[in-house]
Amino acid sequence: MIINGRAIASGRAEAEVLVLNEDFSFLGGVDTATGELRVGEGNISGRMFAFRRGKGSTVGSYTIFDLKTKNLAPAGIINATAETIVTTGAVIADIPLVDGIDIDALRSGDRAIIDGDSGTLELPDLELREVVSGIVRRGDDILLLRRSDEESHFPRMWGGASGLMEAGEGPEDAASRELLEETQIDARPTLIGRSFLIRGDGIIWKVHPVLFEADDEPTLNWEHCDYRWVSPADSAGMDTVPRLNEVLVRLGL
Amino acid sequence: MNLSAAEQRILDGEEGEGARKALELVVALGKIYGAEDLVPITSAHLSGVSYKTIGDGGIVYLEHVSQGAKVRVPSTLNPSGMDSVRWREMGVSEEFAAKQLHIIDLYGSMGVETSCSCTPYLAGNVPRKGDHVAWAESSALSMVNSMVGARTNREGGPGALAAAIVGRTANYGLHLKENRSPTVVVEADIDGSLFSHSLLGQAVGSRIGNGIPYFRGIRPDWEEAKIMAAAMAASGAVAMFHVEDHTPESSEHSTEGLEVINIGDDELKDAHESLSVVEDVELIAFGCPHLSMREVREMAYYLEGKVKKSDVKVWFCTSRQVRDALPKEVATLERFGTVLADTCMVVTPVEGLYESSASDSAKACNYLPTLCSQKVRCDSFQTLMEVVM
Repeated sequence: MIINGRAIASGRAEAEVLVLNEDFSFLGGVDTATGELRVGEGNISGRMFAFRRGKGSTVGSYTIFDLKTKNLAPAGIINATAETIVTTGAVIADIPLVDGIDIDALRSGDRAIIDGDSGTLELPDLELREVVSGIVRRGDDILLLRRSDEESHFPRMWGGASGLMEAGEGPEDAASRELLEETQIDARPTLIGRSFLIRGDGIIWKVHPVLFEADDEPTLNWEHCDYRWVSPADSAGMDTVPRLNEVLVRLGL
Repeated sequence: MNLSAAEQRILDGEEGEGARKALELVVALGKIYGAEDLVPITSAHLSGVSYKTIGDGGIVYLEHVSQGAKVRVPSTLNPSGMDSVRWREMGVSEEFAAKQLHIIDLYGSMGVETSCSCTPYLAGNVPRKGDHVAWAESSALSMVNSMVGARTNREGGPGALAAAIVGRTANYGLHLKENRSPTVVVEADIDGSLFSHSLLGQAVGSRIGNGIPYFRGIRPDWEEAKIMAAAMAASGAVAMFHVEDHTPESSEHSTEGLEVINIGDDELKDAHESLSVVEDVELIAFGCPHLSMREVREMAYYLEGKVKKSDVKVWFCTSRQVRDALPKEVATLERFGTVLADTCMVVTPVEGLYESSASDSAKACNYLPTLCSQKVRCDSFQTLMEVVM
């Protein structure tokens, strides 16, 4: 699968990912004699080093260059958000850097290829599955559906009208189709939220939040056993599918 | 990003590997902040000079860069880790001195002016209003943004060097007029002393972070402005300020609807108490930012005929230009301490020499505890000099 980020420092690198899911300072954060991390576990040398964002002293740029001259630098860097210190270090040390990547979706040990000129991250051993999560709003309430016992994923949990996007389908069409199948409500989306990634075993789910406005009561099919109209705040106390809250936030609910 | 034909040529390596690499860095930094293009600069001021701050990694980098690159615009250097001439008197080690002199030589080989000061705008590197420049050194860049009306972001050391090498920087942030508007009004009710301006900067910077304050109630001269700008950049990340009816761009922006904060004696007292934690000190240091000609003259005038009675060390930090220009005044100050050029109390290895120090500069008093492991006292020039007389 390929994830599109932002090209920051040019070049191509292929290596095994080392994830540090926090902000990182190269000055003090790594042993410059060995490449071992002092915060977190692992050695960054030759790895695809993925962390959220650079922080700390501007001397960190020189630390990256210093590691490179000792052959201890990472092969490539993946950031959620690039900033000046790490970008400077990456460019002067010729290390490809791509940002705009959801670090949560990566695991240490993943094989990764980044292209710092096109801004892509390729994860050849992982499969991408794009799903829609449709939320119907009626006044101040939203419609939550309870998944039936027959569902293989997340039975008995509360969520939106959701399902896999089919080949050639966009989030709008997929969400409208799923909503009609699962509730008999015929509506078109009023808002498509920014997508996000959820990591599974061998799989990364790309979730597209979709909002509908409708007054109709749902008629359920086999996929769900119950429904409720609740306020977005009340959904927090329910047994929901993973990261439903993220869907609601991205729809402004 | 939109690059001109000339810029694309540099990026294609037609003007050498040094220029290509420098432009790559300028472009990469521009991408992070959404710059649409580059803008020509008229000067640069570079940080990353002190061996204490850049370390061996910095030396390796500069050795690499200096092989194939020269600066295209007038470029000056920030203070280094020692007085290039009087480092032995400061107690700096032979090893440190050798590495420090090597760093300065490397910059010199690229065509950078090698006197080291944080007040280049008082010593020949003076932009004009509207000029785009690439300056590092938080106090100096705030001064040229605010008091001159030149335009620069808060550049880092390598970014400013890269900009100097290609004569361009990325066009975003404070290079664009719409980002230079004030974000908060500060009603200042303070006495007109230099030290009050230092504390005012401390109080404002710690309240507004990286905002752009619009001051009412003060009319700072260059000396008052530089100590205030330095403090605001250290306690916050202020890169620009306006002073009503005083700074060159103050009339070009509206203050309508902005939050107003009031800073008076109580706020200055709080700022003072937050910085000043000890009474007795081993070192008293002035000149953060570097002392101007006028300050050196006024200090000499004040100290004329007085006698030092304590063994507390005193440093007066200034630029080489000022020290060379005022030999008589320097001789007066030397009866009380050492007049140092090219360096300052923050970037020199003070931690190996003293455990406690004092300054009238809120900027110095912010950094001395963290960068130099000092216990700090913050007070005015007169109050601190009375300690030694």
